[in-house]
Amino acid sequence: MMMRTIVLLLLCVCGNDTLADAVFDSCVLCHGTGVKGNAAIHAPKLAGLQGWYVLRQLEAFRSGVRGTHAQDVSGSEMRTIALSLRDDELKKPAALIAGLPATSNDATIDGDTARGERLYVSCAACHGSRGEGNEALGAPALARGSDWYLVRQLLNFRNGLRGTAQSDAFGVSMRAAALTIPDDQGVRDVVAYINTLR
Amino acid sequence: MSISRRRFLHLVGVAGGSTAAYQAALGLGLIPIAGAAQPPDIAPLARGVRKSVLILGAGLASLVAAYELKRRGYRVRVLEAANRIGGRILTIRGGDVIDEVGNPQVCRFDREPHLYFNAGASRIPGDHTATLDYCRKLDVELEPFVNLNRDAWVQDDALFGGQRIRNREYMAETRGFISELAAKSIRPEDIDEPFTAADLKAIVEYLRQFGRLDPQLKASRSKRTTSTSFANPSALQDLFHSKILSGMAYGESEDQSAVMLTPVGGMDRIPAAFAERLGDVIQLNARVDAIRLTDSGVDVDCVTRRGRETLSADFCLNSIPMQLLAGIEHNFPADYTRGLAAVPRGKYFKLAFQAKERFWEREKIYGGISWTMQDISQIWYPSHGIHKRKGVILGAYTFDGTSGDMFARLSPQERLALAIRQGEKLHPGYGGYVEHGVSVCWHRMNHMLGCAAAWSGPLRTQWFKTLREPAGHHYLLGDQISELPSWQEGAVRSAFFALADIDRRVRESVVA
Repeated sequence: MMMRTIVLLLLCVCGNDTLADAVFDSCVLCHGTGVKGNAAIHAPKLAGLQGWYVLRQLEAFRSGVRGTHAQDVSGSEMRTIALSLRDDELKKPAALIAGLPATSNDATIDGDTARGERLYVSCAACHGSRGEGNEALGAPALARGSDWYLVRQLLNFRNGLRGTAQSDAFGVSMRAAALTIPDDQGVRDVVAYINTLR
Repeated sequence: MSISRRRFLHLVGVAGGSTAAYQAALGLGLIPIAGAAQPPDIAPLARGVRKSVLILGAGLASLVAAYELKRRGYRVRVLEAANRIGGRILTIRGGDVIDEVGNPQVCRFDREPHLYFNAGASRIPGDHTATLDYCRKLDVELEPFVNLNRDAWVQDDALFGGQRIRNREYMAETRGFISELAAKSIRPEDIDEPFTAADLKAIVEYLRQFGRLDPQLKASRSKRTTSTSFANPSALQDLFHSKILSGMAYGESEDQSAVMLTPVGGMDRIPAAFAERLGDVIQLNARVDAIRLTDSGVDVDCVTRRGRETLSADFCLNSIPMQLLAGIEHNFPADYTRGLAAVPRGKYFKLAFQAKERFWEREKIYGGISWTMQDISQIWYPSHGIHKRKGVILGAYTFDGTSGDMFARLSPQERLALAIRQGEKLHPGYGGYVEHGVSVCWHRMNHMLGCAAAWSGPLRTQWFKTLREPAGHHYLLGDQISELPSWQEGAVRSAFFALADIDRRVRESVVA
């Protein structure tokens, strides 16, 4: 801990604007300009996510209910970052990200949108019919996110890489929901449909 | 045992290791390193002609480009996101910060000239002439780098119960085994092509020398044997089931062959030599946020301590790692964009520690590499500082993604603990010598997030040309866009390629 404090101090002395910006800079490193995502390193788009959801996930990474499964390589990378932040540093990136507009992206997932629409009916109960999310239910926005990331996370839920910790109530219920999708093609179909939501 | 000619040649190939494989590769027409080995003869700009070049990243390729262009009157500016130059040329000394995202470390080596760790580039093959030419030109003093040392250890849990053996013993005994097997098995009636008695005699004599067989064609035991393992009847099975031969043959491959070289005092002497001659054209702590191709050049948005500014130039040479570039806002052509995200990033990992005594020298090891099939894979002994009290030893070096991810998940302390535990099998009492450790997980390093681009044959066929050709006035640079990923020579030659193309375009535009 002492060492980490020294390093943080050193990094402050050597460089980078205010600490708030330094924390956000570390988001940009992986998540790209304007945190619009970088598929090359599996870093999803963050712009457009609600601040409360970002904060909850940073806390999930820190507590280890997310990013600890041996096969979840990207999750473990994110967990390392979350663990390196102090308590008061968690809220800053969440607030900064919440202020960024969701921009549209190029679709990268092919699927049967008609079948996806039928499957999405049960998703809409929590995530909203336009994929706008619902804070009261703890369900994040889905529309205009990185589509490849939605596929990956649905598969992570289905395969038990995420949503298996009993203390992670939201994760557990999302895993149960993901398991109701009949097959992996269904995952792509539903994401292809989410791509059409605005 | 009957043996066909093909089978026999195969066995010789096994015994010959990669030297034989190398000969075969030559026979197959494997060409020498592609790309120009000399810097292009850039035409000096005529009076009144102004050309500006913005260079992104301050690794070796960028420094070479800046140096050559500046000499010819081009206005150059180098933007580097980190607070140091060199890119993946990184020499770590006491007091240095290792800027791994989420896992920063401070190196606590003693501050002595010989106590350093080349965490990135660390050795130069004798045939990497473009790199070596710059060392000569810029007065970077070189010393031999011991890459292959037959006194170093070999250890595999699948070989002789995990007992360590000397590399020389492994090689001598292996050759002896294979030669004896081949020499005793070969019979003229089994050969499926015309084969004279003289041919047969010559081959048997060859095998006798190759494997140091006695006149009865029996492999003789090494005089410097350290173990009795090879006398064991099961030794042959162990040998063939162990996968460690690849490590043994490593030092005989084309770009790992002795003699290799390294700068005295650390690999970062090379970027430092360029920086000395470039003066104030390099700007540190300058992060690129957007790149826009325009009709006449390139615009770059850059974020520094002073805020954000847009810079314009006639040309842009860009060595930002592809995996990061893919996340930076740009207006590259669609094909180019797809290519940037298509080539996986390397996940190399290196760990080193300061040892309070040079215990390996007491084990008669002076430089070189020990190999193990454990996660750490290699232990490197420093070729410099011989017989001084302390030394910095490399305790792990892995290339594959699985190992890279595994080490990345661990904290720096856990990585060191694992490396010490595994190193004990090669050096009993190993942990007792460790003073301070550092580790570098290249795919988690700030401003990098990857090591050498992991080009495969099919990826190269599909994307290399697209990505090496300019997009407008923008050129990719670095070992990532060379035939020699992970080598400094690749970085240098990538710069030569781009510079030659810029020179051609400028000459043509001036004539027009």
